[in-house]
Amino acid sequence: MTMHPQTDERADTPAEASARGKLDRRAMLAATGAAALAMIGYPLVRRLWRTPQPVFLARGQRYDGPLVETIRDGLAAVEFDAAWVRGRRVLLKPNLVEPYRDSPHLTTHPSLVLAAAEVFRGWGADVAVGEGPGHVRDTQMALVESGLEEALRGEKLPFADLNYDDAPAAPNRGRTSKLAEFFFPRSVLEADLIVSMPKLKTHHWVGMTASMKNLYGTLPGLVYGWPKNVLHYAGIPQTVVDINASLPRTIAIVDAILCMEGDGPIMGTPKPLGLVAIGLCPTAVDATCSRIIGIDPGRIEYLALAAGKLGPIADRDIPQRGEPWQGLVEPFAIVDVPHLRRLRG
Amino acid sequence: MSWLDETLDRLCRRPVCGYYARGPAAVEPTALAAMALVGHGRVEAAHAALQWLAGLQSSRGSLGIDGQHPSPCWPTGWAVLAWQAATPPQSSKDARAPSPWSDAAGRAVAWLLATKGTAERNNAVMGHDTTLQAWPWVEGTHSWVEPSAIGLLALKSSGHADHPRSREAVRLLLDRMLPSGGWNQGNKIVMGRVLRPQVQPTGLALAALAGEEEEADHVRRSLGYLDRAISAPVSPASLSYALVGMAAHGRFPADAGQRLAAAAADALGHDAPPYPLALAALAALGADCPYLKAAKA
Repeated sequence: MTMHPQTDERADTPAEASARGKLDRRAMLAATGAAALAMIGYPLVRRLWRTPQPVFLARGQRYDGPLVETIRDGLAAVEFDAAWVRGRRVLLKPNLVEPYRDSPHLTTHPSLVLAAAEVFRGWGADVAVGEGPGHVRDTQMALVESGLEEALRGEKLPFADLNYDDAPAAPNRGRTSKLAEFFFPRSVLEADLIVSMPKLKTHHWVGMTASMKNLYGTLPGLVYGWPKNVLHYAGIPQTVVDINASLPRTIAIVDAILCMEGDGPIMGTPKPLGLVAIGLCPTAVDATCSRIIGIDPGRIEYLALAAGKLGPIADRDIPQRGEPWQGLVEPFAIVDVPHLRRLRG
Repeated sequence: MSWLDETLDRLCRRPVCGYYARGPAAVEPTALAAMALVGHGRVEAAHAALQWLAGLQSSRGSLGIDGQHPSPCWPTGWAVLAWQAATPPQSSKDARAPSPWSDAAGRAVAWLLATKGTAERNNAVMGHDTTLQAWPWVEGTHSWVEPSAIGLLALKSSGHADHPRSREAVRLLLDRMLPSGGWNQGNKIVMGRVLRPQVQPTGLALAALAGEEEEADHVRRSLGYLDRAISAPVSPASLSYALVGMAAHGRFPADAGQRLAAAAADALGHDAPPYPLALAALAALGADCPYLKAAKA
């Protein structure tokens, strides 16, 4: 069985490298707790040490606006090391869960994907776009309906169909769910950097979908089905955490320009926000998105599970860059069902 | 050379094929390629594919998605259909010759009969009958439209159209149909909201419902949806499934050949992926598409 090429000894991400000074000092303090460290696992503690995690917010954004500049500025603001990506493989992962051409609030807009591609290509990266739509078995149809097929052809951007890619087994590094392993597509495993590019939406099962839940689409439907029902049976919040914990390094660029509220992630209504959110830690980015749509991130189960393990969700640990989130709060309508009532407190 | 000849030549050269030109060989595209070759009279060329499928069969009778993944086993029904398509009908002059695939097909059918999706207690959130059981994508999970349609076609092709499992699969497909026609990939209604239809699952479900004449109203609504849907830009795979689903109920658009030619030309002009090309070759056969014909027989 082919194993995950990622190891705990992998090179640090740009943010990790920049934070290393702090880590080393904390590591010294933690040395006396070596026994506890061994019990809860090195990868877990590594991530705990990595707070704070900045998040950049840009307001007044439009799909026909200067998104390349926004993304470049945002990545610089969260201390992304542009030189690091030269010659590396970058996989942009939009959300095309179930596209319909008359519902642009459902899927990541092609303009944002192309802008991100231009930024990373400009820095010398080898860029591809990859997605395994969760509710559409015909991936090409998803590309047609979302408008992405035409956009990718125009820019000669390669597309990896993650639903049908060869998918060796990789260990579940999160171990929050009962799943022992994941089958990640090779184009995911071989990427040096995954950029989660979700559409910010409410989600009628777990409250919100943004950069962490978007990574469900890195798993192949061939193995997990359409929908990826295996993950549902194993627990959506738990598997969201496990997938995020098991992937190669991942950052987030969120399409919150035209969002979805109400009965998301498919049947909700458009909610324009005009925002782009960027960060090196998907957990921190999603916690900020959650605050913006009026939900305490601690009430979203997968964020509560990820807190401290994959990244911070406490406001004090997420330095804001660009616009402060407090001035951008726009509560989203949430479906009135018993399991979501706790979201509003 | 026509797109169809070029496609069949490609499939003849590589009958054991994958979803993409450079991808690993997989059960579903290989079974479809075998049926396309059989349907177009290139039976000899299909043998390597049929043999390869038999070689992947597990001791339980199931087939996984490819040589590396013995599970999930949802493509098993496609293998049954491919083996049945290559088996001469009882009425033909070759019928006395034993089919080399009959044992494999029989064991795969036994697996299908023994395997079902999980039943859940009906609840207010899900708008379909969650107690109905047909086939899941992955064992241990719920039944879904496409694997149920594939399983139903396979049972029908094997003389089990009246088996209780087939009848329940028909009920499940009808229950999952959207009120205005067509099928979504997954659910019908969730939390009171009706979902939207998609072309591919609709085409496949309609194919599986061939011969269910008492369900004319359901079929009419879904055919109406497909008519509208394929008038907009559509991928080769979805177009092909749609055309076979329509052919199953006697409605094959007059311009189907032209549409398929355009779709196949697009695929051939890029990477010539075997999977959609095999589907297009099958759709070109209309009502004689082997997976449809075998199920009707």
